[in-house]
Amino acid sequence: MRPAAPLELAVPLVGIVVVIGVYVVAVLDQAISELVGGGTLRWRRVAFDPLRSAAHLVTQQRRTTERPDTPGWILAPALLSALAALALAMVPLGPTTVAADPETGFVVFSAAIAFVMIAVYLHGWSPNSLFALHGAYRFGAQALSLQIPFLLAMLATTLPAESLSIVDIVQAQESLWNVVRQPLGLPLYLVVGVGASFWGPMNLPDAADLAGGTGVEDSGVARLLWKSARSAMLVAVAAMGATGFLGGWWGPWLPGAVWVILKTLVLLVVLIAAGHLFARVRVEAFVVVAWALLIPLALLNIFVSGAVLL
Amino acid sequence: MVLRRLLTRLAAGAPVPVLPVAGLGMRDALRELRIRPELRPVDVPAAASVLVAAGSLPEEFGDPLALLHDGMPHPRAVVWWNPGNSAGPLLRRFADPTVVDGSADELVSAVVRVRRELYSGHRPSSEPVLAETGRAPWEGVGPYGQGGSGMTGGVPYGRPLAEVAPDRDGLRLDVVPLTVGPFFPQFPPGLRLEATFSGDVVVDCLPLVNPFVDIAHHALPVRPGLDVFFRALFEPVPIAELELARARDHLVWLADALSAHGLPALGVRALRLTHELEGTAAVPGVRRLSRAIEWSQVLRWSTRGVGRFDAAGRTSLGGCGPVARAAGLPDDARMEDATYRALGFELIVQDGADAAARWRQRLAEVVQSLALAKRAGAQRSEVTGQVESPRGLLTAGSAPASRLLPLLPGLLEGLEWGDAVATIVSLDIDLEEAGLAERLASAQAGAT
Repeated sequence: MRPAAPLELAVPLVGIVVVIGVYVVAVLDQAISELVGGGTLRWRRVAFDPLRSAAHLVTQQRRTTERPDTPGWILAPALLSALAALALAMVPLGPTTVAADPETGFVVFSAAIAFVMIAVYLHGWSPNSLFALHGAYRFGAQALSLQIPFLLAMLATTLPAESLSIVDIVQAQESLWNVVRQPLGLPLYLVVGVGASFWGPMNLPDAADLAGGTGVEDSGVARLLWKSARSAMLVAVAAMGATGFLGGWWGPWLPGAVWVILKTLVLLVVLIAAGHLFARVRVEAFVVVAWALLIPLALLNIFVSGAVLL
Repeated sequence: MVLRRLLTRLAAGAPVPVLPVAGLGMRDALRELRIRPELRPVDVPAAASVLVAAGSLPEEFGDPLALLHDGMPHPRAVVWWNPGNSAGPLLRRFADPTVVDGSADELVSAVVRVRRELYSGHRPSSEPVLAETGRAPWEGVGPYGQGGSGMTGGVPYGRPLAEVAPDRDGLRLDVVPLTVGPFFPQFPPGLRLEATFSGDVVVDCLPLVNPFVDIAHHALPVRPGLDVFFRALFEPVPIAELELARARDHLVWLADALSAHGLPALGVRALRLTHELEGTAAVPGVRRLSRAIEWSQVLRWSTRGVGRFDAAGRTSLGGCGPVARAAGLPDDARMEDATYRALGFELIVQDGADAAARWRQRLAEVVQSLALAKRAGAQRSEVTGQVESPRGLLTAGSAPASRLLPLLPGLLEGLEWGDAVATIVSLDIDLEEAGLAERLASAQAGAT
């Protein structure tokens, strides 16, 4: 472990980033939804409705089902939030401004993404409800298919850095961002990133055709926590995309941290807009595409990146 | 205490999550609630605070409705919009329902007021309707209520356990029998499907009888937008009115279908377009919406090959309107009307016979209907006794839904659940229309 922010500072800092990130996702989602739906953008509503809705959920009863796995049900959103926080902790705001900078930061981030499957499965399993369990199994197929291309897309960013440290990956982009060096990388990363955070077109486990899937029985605080955890994971995916492909803190005039935030916001807008403009994909079709197209493309991306570096 | 007061105050200003349940004549009016900023229609009881039932519902829906109600978290309330005379027995099951006889604005005001009263403590949260346990007896055969066949044949409290049966790959896997509906959010109102699942796959299914056929009601409430097609059975009606109603109906279908495919915001845009059909911006608006739906090709990719009728199935599609035309059949009652022919009406057909073709067909027909409405001026239809409704051939006694329902088992068996839902959505089954047609035939038979 290389020097980073002290733990007593890093933990609350990451917590604050998660909370702000979740709120920003809620605001952006509402704004984009209004725009796509042809409505009038009322900023006051867009800015405060998420807060009011959160208060509504907090004051609502947390209902239960018959014979649920209660510890699992409570643990699932906590696990997903913790994974999102862990992934965000790897994102540097500057060469020395990072909550945690292990030499294997890439591996830690990838492990956090891999464990999302456990959180979603637990969330679907624990209410003892048919459509919730159905959603859990769906995500099993989805996550198994996307994790390899996700890892490969990210792995290519470690080649120019010759390091698994996220800080080193950003340092290596000083002269040329990875989005230019590896043009296939960012699109691949975003496609599988939407899948990893089960958002928009890849929201198969919590889909409308399952009446909400793993979240069908959630009410009150449980619903708020699960929605927040999903948003936090989306923020983590966007922040790592900005770091791994868009040069992280590199940029003219503004401080590095501002560049990271701006780039993350741009990717968040892209990901959230995709959720309102791309229909949900079919599980079977996505699995075929993931194995037959995304993995070969991700491998090609690695081979080409390696050849260029040689 | 201060925090709780602050939270309650904030919560009272949030859009009210309502669970809409459409009865006779109220389907489209409830859809309109999606446009209202004060309300947020949701799909499941766990996410709702206020159950908004609208219109008359069959008495047999009493228990499913009570289940929805009891599944809502506290604080909760029931608002019944335009219940009519026949909703009385269902209304009485709830402790203190708020009844609104009036416009959508009055409904929205009532819902907001009810939620404010819930939070201010002036209204108690609605009590459960059903008993906590034992809503169905355990039907096992063992001394402890276990088992019917082997260890897994019981039906504990109405929830069947998995059994083992051969699957499509020749394996023996768990299957679960389940009745989906009548309030499954992506199904047409009233549709109930008795299905057996093996994992994600529908092994077999059977649609139950149309509940809207025998509903007791003193008058026939016809959904606004549908009434013009029923009037056309008896008298010539303005073609412009027919075609605008057809375009509006297709857009309402589009709104539902887009939501089912994960695009609720575009669905709201489709609903907004229904208010602009008579303006000059209607056709460009529909074209822009079509482009927004189709540009990415993802929807086409998600629906291509889904719910496809084979050659034998296509022969059963006579009178099924856009579904038949999407399968390449030249099936449209408007072809028999001389006024339509004089207006230059031409049949639009597709060649896919799948859900993707049915999407394309309806999108094309919206534009065609708007053009026909513009050309028609004050001209009226000539043929009576039958009419091409937005779903197909409508006569007294027969509607497209009654032709489509028997085809469902053959179409859905073997599909994954997501594809089965996409298929049902693409067929636009309207049980209310079919119920009205059958009741109309009964009324005519009674009169003669």
